[in-house]
Amino acid sequence: MRAVYPHQEAEVDRDGVEIHYEVFGEGHPTLLLIPPSPITHSRIWKGLVPNLARHFRVVTVDGRGNGKSGRPTGPEEHSQEQTLDDLVAVLDATGTPSAVVVAHCHANWWAVALATAHPERVEALVAIEPGVPYLGTPQPHWVETAPHWDEIIENPAGWRLNNRHAITTQHRRWIEFFFGQQLVEPHSTKQYEDAVSWALETTGEVLAAGEEGFDIGVPDRETAEKMYRSLDVPTLVIHGDRDICQNVDRGVAFAEATGGDLLVVEGAGHLTPAREPVKVNRAIREFVDKIKGVPMSSQVWTRGMDRRKRALFLSSPIGLGHARRDLAVAQELKKLEPDLEIEWLAQHPVTAVLAAAGEKIHPASEWLSSESAHMASEAAGHELHCFQALRRMDEILLANFMIFQEVLDEGNYDLTVGDEAWDVDYYWHENPELKRGSHVWMTDFVGYLPMPEGGDHEAYLTADYNAEMIEHIARFPRIRDRAIFVGNADDIYPDVFGPDLPKIRDWTEEHFDFSGYITGFTPPTEDQVAEWRAELGYDPEEKICIVTVGGSGVGRDLLERVIASYPMAKEKVPELRMVAVAGPRIDPDSLPTQPGLEVHGYVDRLYRHLSVCDLAVVQGGLTTTMELTAAQRPFLYFPLHNHFEQNFHVRHRLDQYGAGRHMDYRSTEPDAVASAIAAEVGRQVTYDKVETDGAQRAARMIAELV
Amino acid sequence: MRATHPDRSGQVERDGVRLGYEMFGRGEPTFLLLPTWTIVHTRFWKMQVPYLARHYRVVTYDGPGNGLSDRVTDPERYSVESYAADAVAVLDACGIERVVAVGLSRGAQYATRLAATYPERVMGVALIGPAMSLTAPLIERADIADKFDQPYPDNPQGWDKYNLAYWHDHYRDFVEFFFSQVFSEPHSTKPFEDAVRWALETGPEILEAERNGPDPDVPDLEIFDRVKCPVLTIHGAGDRIQSHRVGEAAARLSKGPLVSMIGTGHMPNVRDPVRVNLALRDFAEGLAR
Repeated sequence: MRAVYPHQEAEVDRDGVEIHYEVFGEGHPTLLLIPPSPITHSRIWKGLVPNLARHFRVVTVDGRGNGKSGRPTGPEEHSQEQTLDDLVAVLDATGTPSAVVVAHCHANWWAVALATAHPERVEALVAIEPGVPYLGTPQPHWVETAPHWDEIIENPAGWRLNNRHAITTQHRRWIEFFFGQQLVEPHSTKQYEDAVSWALETTGEVLAAGEEGFDIGVPDRETAEKMYRSLDVPTLVIHGDRDICQNVDRGVAFAEATGGDLLVVEGAGHLTPAREPVKVNRAIREFVDKIKGVPMSSQVWTRGMDRRKRALFLSSPIGLGHARRDLAVAQELKKLEPDLEIEWLAQHPVTAVLAAAGEKIHPASEWLSSESAHMASEAAGHELHCFQALRRMDEILLANFMIFQEVLDEGNYDLTVGDEAWDVDYYWHENPELKRGSHVWMTDFVGYLPMPEGGDHEAYLTADYNAEMIEHIARFPRIRDRAIFVGNADDIYPDVFGPDLPKIRDWTEEHFDFSGYITGFTPPTEDQVAEWRAELGYDPEEKICIVTVGGSGVGRDLLERVIASYPMAKEKVPELRMVAVAGPRIDPDSLPTQPGLEVHGYVDRLYRHLSVCDLAVVQGGLTTTMELTAAQRPFLYFPLHNHFEQNFHVRHRLDQYGAGRHMDYRSTEPDAVASAIAAEVGRQVTYDKVETDGAQRAARMIAELV
Repeated sequence: MRATHPDRSGQVERDGVRLGYEMFGRGEPTFLLLPTWTIVHTRFWKMQVPYLARHYRVVTYDGPGNGLSDRVTDPERYSVESYAADAVAVLDACGIERVVAVGLSRGAQYATRLAATYPERVMGVALIGPAMSLTAPLIERADIADKFDQPYPDNPQGWDKYNLAYWHDHYRDFVEFFFSQVFSEPHSTKPFEDAVRWALETGPEILEAERNGPDPDVPDLEIFDRVKCPVLTIHGAGDRIQSHRVGEAAARLSKGPLVSMIGTGHMPNVRDPVRVNLALRDFAEGLAR
């Protein structure tokens, strides 16, 4: 899922070539974002649009030749003149009298043309890694390969792929080589995949035409330089100093020629909007605020020593387990620090739990992009590839981080607690100057693990993510003032982070404190079990089997399979009473029915049912399985296919407690489900005890920082 | 030692009175930090000048009666109109066209008159803890005007000391009482010592002359109608001299932003200088040039 969607999108027809544009936000001024087409399209701005659109109006355009725009193959159809008219047409179509133009790479040449031909339509220019002719030193590989553009080269490789024949016949090789070179920053796998996939949305023919069309109408050096010097708009140049597409001295010279501001991003390559999105977002916003002269607004400032202690809690919305345990920790923390004011930056469904408990939810929570909706959109059948789903959540995490940082910049928080707040942990390590206050990181698993089906490539990717995390913590130990592992050392999956990387357990023991597991509730005593059963209408003679897939929409397949097993199971166990809980996202009426089977939608305090049942059939999520473990109930659990956390981390932890019966969804037909139900229902189990003081222990660790 | 020394300093003479001024820095725009009640002099801006001068040009000067200016006893020289004219004389001497005018306490009256009378010279006004007749005074100060010329009681307490005869008899004690009220924040020993020392550079006869100055031509409640430039108001919620309600009224009448400083007293620029410096910079950056 994208972090934000346009409120308007359409095409303008330019002599038979459709030019697609999208409009976001309603602020002022309008920012027109121009990608360097046709090698890429407007999605290169995915890291900027959500943040900028909260403050300004944003118009993005797919340049001719890629995205949702037409694919002309004639070089003359990619000239500066044509592109310039495209931009004017989009400004007209969107009712934009003038805009701040943000351009990347060679799109800056078109931005210069726009500001020169139509100065009244350009309020300012943000030139990112500008590819404007003549300025600075050209990269040698461009100089060396240009004369051979029209030749047919045998087995071209490397920069020699920059050649009409090679590009038109070996499009993918050129693209992969080119972006492999551009992403000089380590751990850029996702940015690389994005860039390659966007470039592959067009053809080699179009790419070659784009290359040739760019040169049409480029004036001589003197005229071009005069154009730059004559630009009468405030300009900000952003340039990575390791850019090997457009040398950084080109950006420096452009800033000099235009008299603009210059931000050199040291260590960065050609794609700062993708690779340093936080810095670029903030730089653009500050620049626009500066040129627009944002008037001050009223504010209340409290003297440091007159401030109440304040904490901001972030609770991951992926799975409902975090909400309950974070609430338990917060409640324990309030006992230790009665003066501490706790606010929550959270989203549905966590906010529902918090609101019911009377917790204070920060209003900016409304702006967050939905992580749980993204996860649901990534699931299919009984499958969720959660590592790739997390990677594909990159723009949502960034959008939410930018909101978090604004809240933090204004909120005078002494402390932030992030329970699997991946965005904060990642972007604070990438932008360490933004950290404020003390920070507590909480998680119940450490280490991305590859699923066997993903093969070597996935193993490479998970190791790369793990290596980045290890490097983050080694370089900036001051970001996580405290790291709490929700569990015990034995719960850690016995593996390494990847080839040549440490053992997960060793590293985690060195870098984390252990709170023990946090259930967020106390399991009933034996007397209470009888009492609760009576309250819930469960007869002592009945064998109660609860089937639940939690709050997610991922689970219909499992529900249906267990429902299909019901008649067979009932035959084997006549006193069986099966209660299927569809949860808030699955319509109970849409599930198949069986005589005698009960299907409910939402069930209030489901954990009470689970703690007194004779058997539960569940997915492999940690929260529900650990509740059942704590309540000493037999259960069958079916981890989601390709979900590394459920298949490795959770399963290993349950094995430590000797809890639950692991089931494989794909290979277990309804009759086998029925047999397992019959074997397990009502079985006396003796799992290792789950601690009940986890929340207290975590709260004590946090309180030391308050 | 001072943190920053002026790039230029001198005296400007207007109608026979010499006023000492200092100029710092070279950035745009220029900040004019106005005098306030004569009980202190221009050094009360010492926490603003070094920071602002790194980004902007800063002009400070003393009004008549303290600091580097002549000790004037003519009440006419203490009218708000005279203060505005003094400010223009200083700007002319420094060759400065337009400024952001900043006034603390009584200085808020001078800043608003300056902007109202010489709109072409002022691009923005910042008021800090404005002492202006916009609301009823604080209850503990409600009757000080009536009692000012009366004999003071035996064993005077608190605002009893705001009394002409007491000033002449026990100037230092009054000054110490007054600044104990100005600095309502704990741990204010150094600002208190500074202020008392500056107060002792002038005396009761000067404060008496100032007190006898004429009323303004335009009442405070009407002056904001004539101020056309943006106005920022900063006010401490713990101000014991001028109620926070005065700041609220100034912000409301000027239709400008209000920075409320919780826990802060009557001299936010001295006691919470970082926040005030940043607010002044934000304000200047947000002004149309």
